[in-house]
Amino acid sequence: MVDQWNRFIEEAEYFLERASGNIKLVEKGLTGLEGSYVELLTILALGLLAVIPVIVPERRRQLYRHINQVFGIFIFVFVVFTCLGVFGMIRNLFRGINEIGRENIIALYYCSVPVTVLVTSMIFGPTFCGWICPTGALQEFAGMVFGGWHRRRKRACYPFSRFMLAMSAIVAAIFLVWMAYLSARRIFFIEDASIYWSEVLVLILFLLVWQMGSLDRRLRRLRILSFWIIVAAAIAQVRITSPVHFGFSKVYDPASLLATVMVVLASLIVPHVWCRYLCPWREAIAWAAKHSVRSVVRDPARCTSCGRCDEVCGVDAIEKGVIDRHECHMCLKCADACPNGALRVVDRWEPGT
Amino acid sequence: MKAFTLLAFAILLACGARASDTIWPAQRGTASARGVCKWVSETPPPEIREWHFRHKSNRRYKTGLAVWASPAVAVVGGRPMAFIGGYDQTMHALDLAAKEECWAKITNGEICDAPAVGEVDGELVVFWGSADRSVYAYAAATGRRVWTRELVAGTSTMTWARLSAPLLHDGTLYVTCFAYDKALPRNMQKGWLCALDMRTGAERWRREVSQGPVGAPVGRRIGGRFIVFVAAQKGLLQALDCTGTEPRPVWTFQMPHEVLGSPAVEEDTERPLLFLGSKFGNLIAIDALTGREVWQRMAGNWIDNTASVGKVDGENIVVVGSHDYNLYAFRVADGAMLWRRHLGGEVFSAPVLFELEGRPAVAACALDNHLYVLDARSGTVITAFYTGQPIWDKVSKGETLWGSPVVFEAGSQTALVHGSFNDTVYVLPVLGETTLRARARSSAALWRGLGIVLVLFLGVVVPVLVKWPARKEA
Repeated sequence: MVDQWNRFIEEAEYFLERASGNIKLVEKGLTGLEGSYVELLTILALGLLAVIPVIVPERRRQLYRHINQVFGIFIFVFVVFTCLGVFGMIRNLFRGINEIGRENIIALYYCSVPVTVLVTSMIFGPTFCGWICPTGALQEFAGMVFGGWHRRRKRACYPFSRFMLAMSAIVAAIFLVWMAYLSARRIFFIEDASIYWSEVLVLILFLLVWQMGSLDRRLRRLRILSFWIIVAAAIAQVRITSPVHFGFSKVYDPASLLATVMVVLASLIVPHVWCRYLCPWREAIAWAAKHSVRSVVRDPARCTSCGRCDEVCGVDAIEKGVIDRHECHMCLKCADACPNGALRVVDRWEPGT
Repeated sequence: MKAFTLLAFAILLACGARASDTIWPAQRGTASARGVCKWVSETPPPEIREWHFRHKSNRRYKTGLAVWASPAVAVVGGRPMAFIGGYDQTMHALDLAAKEECWAKITNGEICDAPAVGEVDGELVVFWGSADRSVYAYAAATGRRVWTRELVAGTSTMTWARLSAPLLHDGTLYVTCFAYDKALPRNMQKGWLCALDMRTGAERWRREVSQGPVGAPVGRRIGGRFIVFVAAQKGLLQALDCTGTEPRPVWTFQMPHEVLGSPAVEEDTERPLLFLGSKFGNLIAIDALTGREVWQRMAGNWIDNTASVGKVDGENIVVVGSHDYNLYAFRVADGAMLWRRHLGGEVFSAPVLFELEGRPAVAACALDNHLYVLDARSGTVITAFYTGQPIWDKVSKGETLWGSPVVFEAGSQTALVHGSFNDTVYVLPVLGETTLRARARSSAALWRGLGIVLVLFLGVVVPVLVKWPARKEA
């Protein structure tokens, strides 16, 4: 029986390795400059995906957004070679900046994707988070499973929930069993430190079972810590792979796969749990988008404080029509759900507009 | 009296250490690419200690990747020596016991492949090819020039030539050379297999084997004939009978994709199999006599270096690394996979099969900058060394062969010699203490790490966050 189980696990692992072996549709990203390996295709795709939120019609905007997210995952898995992981982009940006003046082509290679994302965030707001990010999309789709339960819990100001406790225990058990299996069969490296982020994610779930109402805002500052840890790692030239890294790395990366599964399972219980509390790139984007040209504004004359926007927001970035721009993902669900049209997108192309 | 004793001891050591096993006639030492040099002598071997050799040149800029080719290891005059070249265009002769560079010879081009060591008129000579289109022969002990031979006349429009590691057999040196001249009037793009006289460097014959780069030749005597196998990068594997004065084609085999490594041929059998991997990801076992495919196995990604064939518990196994992060071991007889070990990065090096305290072991390098030593029976990792990051880490994977480790076995000592892409040649006693502690961690360390994170998070981070006043909301 044990042998059969081991054989099954081995076959499953081998299948995963083979499945993630050669899945790219192109052998190499389009080269922007000869010999530079700059992924022009990635930049084009990202630029296009960032522009779509601006050009889609308001009617059925959320459908277009989900299509954009699915397309983002597709691009991510089958086309992109450059690291689009939330840790990798910080690391690559640091490396790229280091190369400026020495190897400008290489600097362009490393900076191209993170700079594209940050610049589009400065202009269009944090649309990367709400419309493109594969990690965010996975969490949002997972969060839909218990959407009704989340809304009820939110309305009741996050009381203690036995269901949530049971779910958190299941997630913790999966994490521990998976870790035990991996630790018995594999070597671990500093690069696999995303398992520590998974561990913290599980611990956060247990804290939120009892104290989500009071701890939610405070725990969001973990993103700053997470950001500086990744920056410190980048300076120390330590490569830490993030969740969903396995999706584009062309190799089977068990620690990243485990982290991804943990993020998806945890976001069943707390919507966008990774974005809320741990994503370092989310923090960088929030800083970049602080004064973005495009933002959601509230018309106080029309707002009746009905709370509909609070209900639909997946990251609790709005309360009675007041938007916390630091937390907003620019998904525009609030604007689309507002029955009075009190929330609308404004482009401030000129100062004072 | 003391000086006389020392002299006598040195002479004794020099005489006693000479044996056929101490010579390195091909890229990976033998046709089976085991990559091992044994100290065969009754005199006790000198102690091999950890050594990180870094050549300090006065060149300000590197001309590209500071990737080192694989070394050749031989016992020369009683001294264990390694010969290694690199993109610094220099061949270095290193005394592994004294931890000193004996001599160095700068050429006019990069040295991209391993040298070979053979005996000419009772003297050990080291042979290598350089991108300056020439083959060099220098006395291994002293660095005295024996001969040099330019294989292709240079033109102002010719790019650097690609010369492989030489193959030495019966007074003949076989080497492949690819030259490309882009000028329209004298356009040329040819890959040859050349045969030179080991003593004088005179060219005996040459044969065009491809219109692209060609891997290092491998040779083995089969049924009274000396067969040389060469694999062109475009995938054409050819077997040539080089017994007579001219090479005669025996068979050809087209691989499904590009080939960067060289074939590895089984030893100790009259009907050997030959193994070659391709960028398609398959390892193909071919009957070395007929060129017929016997079996093939797929890896999850590219195989871009040479396999290694050796004996484990009485049966031959072939070990090969792949870009899917795995090192594979197959049974030669039927191609059954014996084990597969996931390492921390693309396994770019050729493996080396050796014995460690009586146990079969295998060593290979991965792109996570580690050199691993594994149990060849089970694939369990015994130890790992951190061998540094590439100097120029924007490497193009699968387009060049990087250095592979070799082993020097001396009595109970086993030392790995590896030219790493961080511009350093490492000599690492496998069993002794080394400063290159691997970053790879044990299961226990992993669980300890999880425990530390748990305590830090709940004991420090969460209390600080709870005490810290909340940010004002917009």
